[in-house]
Amino acid sequence: MSAVAPPRPSRTRTRLVASVVCVVVVVAFWSVDINWARLGNLPSEIVRYLWLMFSAPDWSKLGEALYQTWRSVEMAWVGTVFGIIIATPLSFLAAKGFGPPPVQAALRGVFAVIRAVPEIIIAIIILSVTGLTPLTGALALAVGGIGTLGKWGFESIDGVPRGPIEAVRAAGGSTSQVLRWGVWPSASPEFLSFWLYRFEINVRASAVLGLIGVGGIGDMLTSYTQYRQWGVVGMLLIVVVIVTIALDAISGAIRRRITEGAPVHDLER
Amino acid sequence: MTVPEPAFALAPERKKAASATPPPRPAGRWKPWLAFGVIAVITAVTLSPQVGIAFSFDAIVRNWQNGAAKIVQLLQPDWSFFPRTIPPMLETLEMAVIATAVSTVIALPLSLWAARLTNPNWVGRGLVRVILNVVRAVPELLYAAILVAMVGVGALPGILALVLFNVGIIVKLVSEAIESNDAGPLEAGRAAGGTQAQINRAVALPDVWPSFVNQVLYVLELNVRSGTVLGLVGAGGIGLLIDAVRTYFRYDQLSVIILEVLVVVILLELVSSAIRKRLV
Amino acid sequence: MTQHTAEVGAVAPASAPWSIRMRDVSVRYPNGVVALKSISMDIEPGEMVSVVGLSGSGKSSLIRTINGLVPITSGQLTVGGHSLAEAKGRELRRLRGEVGMIFQGFNLAGRTSVLNNVLVGRLAHTPTWRTLLGLHTAADKQIAFDALERVGILAKAWDRASSLSGGQQQRVAIARALSQEPHLVLADEPVASLDPPTAHAVMRDLRRINTELGITVLTNLHLVDLAREYGTRLIGLRAGEVVYDGSVDDATDAVFEEIYGRSIRAEDVLDR
Ligand SMILES: Nc1ncnc2c1ncn2[C@@H]1O[C@H](COP(=O)(O)OP(=O)(O)OP(=O)(O)O)[C@@H](O)[C@H]1O
Ligand SMILES: [Mg+2]
Repeated sequence: MSAVAPPRPSRTRTRLVASVVCVVVVVAFWSVDINWARLGNLPSEIVRYLWLMFSAPDWSKLGEALYQTWRSVEMAWVGTVFGIIIATPLSFLAAKGFGPPPVQAALRGVFAVIRAVPEIIIAIIILSVTGLTPLTGALALAVGGIGTLGKWGFESIDGVPRGPIEAVRAAGGSTSQVLRWGVWPSASPEFLSFWLYRFEINVRASAVLGLIGVGGIGDMLTSYTQYRQWGVVGMLLIVVVIVTIALDAISGAIRRRITEGAPVHDLER
Repeated sequence: MTVPEPAFALAPERKKAASATPPPRPAGRWKPWLAFGVIAVITAVTLSPQVGIAFSFDAIVRNWQNGAAKIVQLLQPDWSFFPRTIPPMLETLEMAVIATAVSTVIALPLSLWAARLTNPNWVGRGLVRVILNVVRAVPELLYAAILVAMVGVGALPGILALVLFNVGIIVKLVSEAIESNDAGPLEAGRAAGGTQAQINRAVALPDVWPSFVNQVLYVLELNVRSGTVLGLVGAGGIGLLIDAVRTYFRYDQLSVIILEVLVVVILLELVSSAIRKRLV
Repeated sequence: MTQHTAEVGAVAPASAPWSIRMRDVSVRYPNGVVALKSISMDIEPGEMVSVVGLSGSGKSSLIRTINGLVPITSGQLTVGGHSLAEAKGRELRRLRGEVGMIFQGFNLAGRTSVLNNVLVGRLAHTPTWRTLLGLHTAADKQIAFDALERVGILAKAWDRASSLSGGQQQRVAIARALSQEPHLVLADEPVASLDPPTAHAVMRDLRRINTELGITVLTNLHLVDLAREYGTRLIGLRAGEVVYDGSVDDATDAVFEEIYGRSIRAEDVLDR
């Protein structure tokens, strides 16, 4: 007895998708303007530079590095706070059943557009008004934050159970009362965790904004990269890594506390 | 004396029924206010002119004339500039695709390495995780700035920067997805006498495949978005052009680029969300 | 029985069924729990054995020990003449490859095809590079198809495993064990998550493996009537010790009450 296998279902679609992906990748490799010969000694080059950066990090500039880090973190903080202040009411307006439908659609479009534009481009636009100052960076992060916080916000409100909302409506509550007593208690833990998450994003983004000269650790890093002072660059990278990981850890710990429930009861007030 | 007594006794009782004594408020209500206070203080400090970022309306008002002109320019895109943006935009897309492909190949085995279920050896696992946590802490644009100084301007440093960043993200998210999967099928593979590598390929991989593809798509979107600005530090793509028009304050040309980035990113988002819906 | 074996051809084990010999086997988990206490028993080639006991009595531990998934703390265990205490690495994997195992929760990779799941049974007989590239030999695939046909779900070979019903999934798991061409099949509560008719069908499949292919089958059960109906020999475990070992025909209700340490309840039988 030898079982006869049932016919294999057609796999044309899988094959088609796979070949499209392959073609796209091959075309990209084939058309990109890279001197592939250079790739050969890349590993040894990278090892050499890693050695230059980390064999003897230059700690003499640590003071300035910490000061610039503080400026970056400030940018991130202010950007987050402004972002929250603007995005929160907007996300309520963009949620189903609160703002007028045209406003709702327009806001959702605005959020999508903002999310599509990198913060650094937003900063380039803003700097025409505010100049090359940390404030520019903070405002760019705030605007960027509107895109993400606004979207997460209305999605979260849309997901709030309808029961409590109807209860407040039934008790004769106004729209703002509905938001305060029907929506906020269920949505606030998520909102708090979005805010913290956006702060984590902003910490990274603020370092990047330094590249266009608004100050902060990114500014310092590009300068010393251009001077090819690899010892300082190594030190700066160590500072960036430690600060980012530390802030992530703090914010992550708070987020976990919020989502795991215990203090929600306090925070929702 | 006996007559008024009941009346006297009833009155306070009624009063009691009318206004129930509330139970003591739960402790800890001050916590949110404390949190709020702390946030307000930090914000005030960060906004102060001495130690903070010196939020001042003065500068804005002074610059307003200048700024308003730029904004007006921004609203009048110079469409004749459009043809010149196409080759660098294509380069951005090429970089994004290459970086995604390369990081997919690197991240797949590393994801399996970084998860407990698919790599019982905690030394190797811990090593991968620590290295990737460090790698993830640095934004791709900073990598790009450094790599440009190392290997020279062009698409190569951009791609390398994206790959570094992508591998960090994919491995983190996919190894978390592996951990959340059921250990049973893997045990069945072990019981059938497979090596860990065989079990990972035959059992673990099919189960994480959808979430892996999902993360790869996500990373592709990220790459296109951040690939548009890598050129600001000389790492190839449309960012080079952004840097050029920005130095000459050609905001009318900048707006063409921004619109183009917008269209590309949003199109890609639509495509990838359509693909996501088919993944189960 | 010889006639049956001749009839089934392809899936028949390459060599004779295996015995299990345990001498004072103890198993102690790293957390200090002693799951098996000095167990000695001999299971002869071709036997169909039911192991019963309360939850926590050590049934799963026993089965996992026989397959080398749990290391022996002390004592001697030989399976098919191979000593398990000494087996490590490649040798242990080869041994596991000869022993089929069936789990309560089926343990299928839900997002891949039934066929791929059955081919997991061929891992021990496949070079790693072949598995990594996903290149299965035609012979392996034929073995998998034959195994699927034996449990009656060949038509589902290309379906996603998760799209099958519980009973069908357990049959895939049995086919996976069969495709190992095992000398011994171990089943850990194979029907505990199935409804009664499906449970009987799966138990019949296991019995057919024993009678038609002659493979030794050891099944953990917690239901009295299934143990009676499908086993020829009954082993009772209580708190990690063998408290009964004999023919099912002699296993009266009193025997079960002795094993369970309490009277038989409605929840201890499938068909009530
Ligand atoms: N991996 C493990 N680590 C530590 N202790 C374990 C482990 N697995 C099982 N045990 C313990 O060993 C004892 C026997 O467990 P085992 O799973 O063998 O029982 P069982 O008879 O199969 O029970 P059930 O019917 O609930 O499946 C129990 O006390 C259990 O808590
Ligand atoms: Mg068990």
